[in-house]
Amino acid sequence: MSCKFVVGSGPALDWAMGAWREAAPELELVPLAMTSIADAAEVEALLAGRELAGATAFVTFDALHLNFARLERMGAFRMHGLRMPPLVCRGAIVSDSAKIAENSYVGPGAIVGQGCKVGYNSVIGAGARIGHGSSIGNSCWIEDGVVVGRAVRIGAHVTLGGGVVVANDIEIGKLCVVDKPGRVDADIAAKTFIQSSHANPMVIVGD
Amino acid sequence: MHTRIPPQAYIDQEWFERERDLLFKPLWQFIAPTTLLDKPNAFVTRTLFGMPIVVQNMKGELRAFENVCPHRQNPIQLQPHGVRPLFCGYHGWSFGQDGAPVNIPFEDTIYRFTPQEKECLHLRRFALEVVGKLVFINLSSQPLPIEEQFGADYLAYLASASEAFDSEVIMTTYDARFNWKLVYENLRDANHARYVHSRTLYQETRFQPVINEDNLALLRRMERAGDITERGQALAILRSFSTGGRDAPLEQAPVNSWHPLVERFRDRDGEHHDEYYNWLPFPNMHIASANGGYSFTIEHHIPVSPGRTEMIVYYMTAKKKRPYAASAAVLHATMMGADKVLREDIDVMEDIQRTLHPAACHASLGEYESENAIIHHWYMNLMEGKFVL
Repeated sequence: MSCKFVVGSGPALDWAMGAWREAAPELELVPLAMTSIADAAEVEALLAGRELAGATAFVTFDALHLNFARLERMGAFRMHGLRMPPLVCRGAIVSDSAKIAENSYVGPGAIVGQGCKVGYNSVIGAGARIGHGSSIGNSCWIEDGVVVGRAVRIGAHVTLGGGVVVANDIEIGKLCVVDKPGRVDADIAAKTFIQSSHANPMVIVGD
Repeated sequence: MHTRIPPQAYIDQEWFERERDLLFKPLWQFIAPTTLLDKPNAFVTRTLFGMPIVVQNMKGELRAFENVCPHRQNPIQLQPHGVRPLFCGYHGWSFGQDGAPVNIPFEDTIYRFTPQEKECLHLRRFALEVVGKLVFINLSSQPLPIEEQFGADYLAYLASASEAFDSEVIMTTYDARFNWKLVYENLRDANHARYVHSRTLYQETRFQPVINEDNLALLRRMERAGDITERGQALAILRSFSTGGRDAPLEQAPVNSWHPLVERFRDRDGEHHDEYYNWLPFPNMHIASANGGYSFTIEHHIPVSPGRTEMIVYYMTAKKKRPYAASAAVLHATMMGADKVLREDIDVMEDIQRTLHPAACHASLGEYESENAIIHHWYMNLMEGKFVL
């Protein structure tokens, strides 16, 4: 039986274990509870003495630090040569022509249309809809129920919060947060943060 | 002691307009950090007392103009910042370094301006000074030397501190519902932190109010001497309002995963200090470093009306040693953290503003607030026309 390490903390780990149990009952699931974000020594300790050959892993974490926290965890396990197939939950509808990269997750009831590309380490929440021909960058977080139109281009490390609807043919640059319910009708430049907590966007200028 | 400033100063439109003419128009005002202006054709726009301003990088030189096309009064730049030539989208006019139009499409065939008419088509230009990485402008046609407002030593300190700023900056604007003066008063009140910021900032830095005996003696002398009437004396007192540097020790040495990735600010003694830094350029600017020089906040408090202030907040780390992937996440997370403290201040100042009415009592200041009392004394003399800047 193939072994999968499921890595996470608290309720998120419990959730990931349950989701994998439903999606791939044939797998032997091994929960690895982490306390740090991606401390190399902790990762070493968690994997010590375990058989890694043929094993796979899945790392879960929230959208903290523009999804860099989850990426760091993913990187820490990827460095041990573990493959990280995506998790497509039961009830998700993913077109045969769509591509879902490593350590990504498509929640129950989500729809990923024809020709879509979802980068690695990205989350497509339960019931979210990704219109055909759209691309979601690496390490994105698309919250439950978000609607992404057709031919939308979303850059890496983008978070779309609950209630967001992205119109067709829109481009959202990398490192953005849109966490204010409503319709996105115009392109959003990279490093723009539109959040309910702030009346005006936060933007990053320069590099 | 009672403040000399009446409640009308915080709520009255006519008073606000006199402030514009007597205080803000003669004084240098911060406009933006140079980071927003370092590319060719980079620009920022701001509205200062109803006057639309554009600062534009023109072939490497920064120029400040009224952001209004002389043809049909259309704003030339529409966004708060960006990179775009000084070009009016209404009828295609473009402007050169001195603010004169360099291209008026179909000028000879449909406009037929006389040479005299064309002479009047310049954009109105304003004085501009760059202090380290900070850009200031002056709306007066005869601006006072910037050193007379801040003092040469203070400007040198601001310049050296701002040189520590990184070139990647996060910014946002808060539309606050209070008079701009409440901010400078609040920033010069070290006693509010333990109450207003008891669960946030005060946990990290225990600001302590102290009675400054020198300030108190100066205040008593000013009160005995009566009104300030001499401009030189008024400017000397004005220079004392802009203070800055190490303010209070941090409870714990700052530790964050990104700190090793930046060049921590060294103070004028060449050393790092685990202290909270505050720079308060008068009248409406605040620079702080809450972690001993690993990062900086700039607040620019722009008066909009007697009861409204636009607070533009910039946050940047100290200079990165090299680019790192998560720098945007650092800026975003820290801005969200700083938001809590800022909202605590905004909430209390909006509460104060709501209590003010024409017959409201004057505020009562304690001796630890002598700095504010001195500013109030000076400010009232200015507003009463005892001296002009």
